[in-house]
Amino acid sequence: MIQRLLPFLTLIALFVGLSIASPDHFLSKTNLSSVVRQTAVINLMALGMTLVIISGGIDLSVGAILAMGGLMGTMAMAKGQPILVGVFLGVLTGCLCGFLNGFLTTRLKINPFIVTLGTLGILRGTTLIISNGLPVHEIPAAFSYLGEGNLVGVPFVLWVLVICAVVVHVILEHTRLGRYAFSIGSNPDAAYYAGIPVAFHTTAVYAICGMLTGLGGMIEASRLMTGQPTAGQGYELQAIAAVVIGGGSLRGGEGSVIGTLVGAFIMGLLANGSDLLGISPYLQQAIIGATIILAVSFDELRKRKMVH
Amino acid sequence: MLLQLTAIQKRFGGVVALKNGNLAVAPGEVHLLLGENGAGKSTLMKIVAGMHQPDGGEMLWKGQKVSFSKPADASAVGIAMVHQESLLAPHLSVAENIFLGREERRAFGWVNRPRMLDQARRLIEEHRFPLHADWRVEKLSPAGKQLVEICRAIAHGSSLLIFDEPTSSLSESETQEVFRIVKTLRERKMGVIYITHRLEELRTVGDRVTILRDGETVHSCGLNEITNERIIQHMVGRELGSMYQRSALAPGEELLRVEGLTRKPLLHNVSFQVRAGEIVGMAGLVGAGRTETCRALFGLDQAEAGTVHIAGQAVTVRSPREAVEQGIALIPEDRQRTGLATALPIGHNLTIADIGKVSRMGFLLDHARERGLAGEYARKLRIKCESPRQLAGRLSGGNQQKVVIAKWLVRGARVFLFDEPTRGIDVGAKVEVYEVMDELARSGAAILMVSSELPELLQVADRILVMRQGRITGELPGRTTQEEIMKLATLHDGGALLEETAE
Ligand SMILES: Nc1ncnc2c1ncn2[C@@H]1O[C@H](COP(=O)(O)OP(=O)(O)OP(=O)(O)O)[C@@H](O)[C@H]1O
Ligand SMILES: [Mg+2]
Repeated sequence: MIQRLLPFLTLIALFVGLSIASPDHFLSKTNLSSVVRQTAVINLMALGMTLVIISGGIDLSVGAILAMGGLMGTMAMAKGQPILVGVFLGVLTGCLCGFLNGFLTTRLKINPFIVTLGTLGILRGTTLIISNGLPVHEIPAAFSYLGEGNLVGVPFVLWVLVICAVVVHVILEHTRLGRYAFSIGSNPDAAYYAGIPVAFHTTAVYAICGMLTGLGGMIEASRLMTGQPTAGQGYELQAIAAVVIGGGSLRGGEGSVIGTLVGAFIMGLLANGSDLLGISPYLQQAIIGATIILAVSFDELRKRKMVH
Repeated sequence: MLLQLTAIQKRFGGVVALKNGNLAVAPGEVHLLLGENGAGKSTLMKIVAGMHQPDGGEMLWKGQKVSFSKPADASAVGIAMVHQESLLAPHLSVAENIFLGREERRAFGWVNRPRMLDQARRLIEEHRFPLHADWRVEKLSPAGKQLVEICRAIAHGSSLLIFDEPTSSLSESETQEVFRIVKTLRERKMGVIYITHRLEELRTVGDRVTILRDGETVHSCGLNEITNERIIQHMVGRELGSMYQRSALAPGEELLRVEGLTRKPLLHNVSFQVRAGEIVGMAGLVGAGRTETCRALFGLDQAEAGTVHIAGQAVTVRSPREAVEQGIALIPEDRQRTGLATALPIGHNLTIADIGKVSRMGFLLDHARERGLAGEYARKLRIKCESPRQLAGRLSGGNQQKVVIAKWLVRGARVFLFDEPTRGIDVGAKVEVYEVMDELARSGAAILMVSSELPELLQVADRILVMRQGRITGELPGRTTQEEIMKLATLHDGGALLEETAE
């Protein structure tokens, strides 16, 4: 039990530690909201990734999906579409990209690692072709509210994140789709023998992941106030890391929304703390890498203790 | 004494698997370890093999106190275990597997292949194993894989060999082969511990017997000092009613009609019908095409020719999903691999085939209802568990089997295909399974029951179909004899250890 709580305890320890080390800066409202804003995008992608990983898959293309979604949404706005239509288009683009991933993995029966490695290249390339490699700047000023605005005193993105987290949690724990995802990830043969429409639900999971990533792309665009065709590079690894630190298993069948959120915030606080304490960004990367390995090895240790 | 265990204890979290495990094995003795599902047999043996560490008690090996922290420690002193799930490297050859981890090396770490092959060949010849040193292990049947594990144990000079339910997935002739090997091991003064749920084989192989109940050794004696009835009493701790015999009922309308089902080279023109309320047995040797028939009916393999009618309607079934929609259920033979999500709770496993039963508005899960349903079936099949929230992988082998069976009972169907339903299930619980099947038949289901245990077919089935080499060779009434069945099943006994490749 104590080991299952380890990610929570780590998060709390980090929070307390940073509050003591840098009480004025760390606990200031500006700093805390900026942590929330910075991690919101990774958090959203990680939520989708949680579903994918639980179902036994992986999505390496989320960084590219993020850029594609952001670009489509901002281009629509630049062409004079209302903000809401732009955001909707961004999310829809993400959803379609995710659907493509799911379709390829289930129909061609190719390993998702390979499929999404491929679509990572395809989507990134397509985004660069569509945009000619140039960022989109002509965005209505009001769009910045999505990433930078506040609603009743808290960052607007926090509301978005909370709603999405609740929805994904409900999907996982209380719906058929979630139960099937666990089942497919835990033993795909058994799921198939049980008559579960495996291909349909696997595709749905990738599509949802794409949707959340598309939304992340719009938030990223809103924070930068540009549609960057090169946005989101390397984000896939952070999203996967968040899931894994939070107890998700790359072998499928394990993971939770709470765990993933905790995982993402641990990484967010590590980055923020390093900034506050003046630790070099190079060392920062190494610290985050070490955290991933530590978290997973503790989790493996716990599981081995239980099973044998 | 070769091995002496005293007061061994083992807990898994809150679950007490062993309270007081005692066992003494002498060299040259075949020691049977018996007990109900979940009694702690496998756990005790995994402790001996170094896979689990005991929480208490003493283990003496050749008179010396020992403790093993990993399997390698146990194999170093000469203890080997033949596992149910094969732990071999499938892409390597038989010889390579026998010497895996102990390859003879030449200079620079080169493996001395010719010598290894040669040694493996001699070993196989000496014991007259139906194997070839250069066969690839993935091509072997479960029985063949077990033989390789046995070869390994002998090659490593083990003096104690543990078999955990070795014959549960073997055909009759393969079982005889295992008995023969066990006897040669005994002649070589090795100790053998043998776990089984098949009472009819006890006296063919065993010398002594130790019975576990709820994690405690309740009895230990020579096999000639005890009757089977007493053994069962010790196992279940109560009197078990007389032999189960199902009373047939008048069959209703024809629910399943199969005509000319063909899938070369495994199935040739298979035709039969099953009526509502009927339990039709299917006998035959392993590889006779019984499992293939079930697979084709359930849409796991596509038949080349033939028609299937469900309740008079012609149906085509191309996937398990379509089969389920047509009201067909398959309780597969290979239950751990194809039936169970070990990392998920028992409750999830039970409801996965019919989640609609525990859903509101078609998609929101009703957890309370799920737990209730899971609890109900756990009681019905006597699944020994803490709660429906326990992970399925933490159950004993036999109880895992019961979960898979229960999953399809929860789902319900018009046509049930039971493939070896009582494999690995203890005597008491076997009767529960028969009773559940009977109940299904009485409520109007048609049941096809594939089984390699002839006594149980005779007890349960209304009619018995016999298959050989992909063909139905005859149909017998339920009250026939084992000899009649074997006659139809073995005109030519292939018993090949190499599985037929589908070409
Ligand atoms: N890894 C584990 N974690 C938790 N509980 C376990 C674990 N392994 C076994 N158990 C529990 O220990 C008890 C004994 O299990 P064991 O596998 O030894 O039974 P068994 O006698 O081999 O039964 P079977 O005939 O069904 O194979 C069972 O109640 C089982 O649920
Ligand atoms: Mg067992």
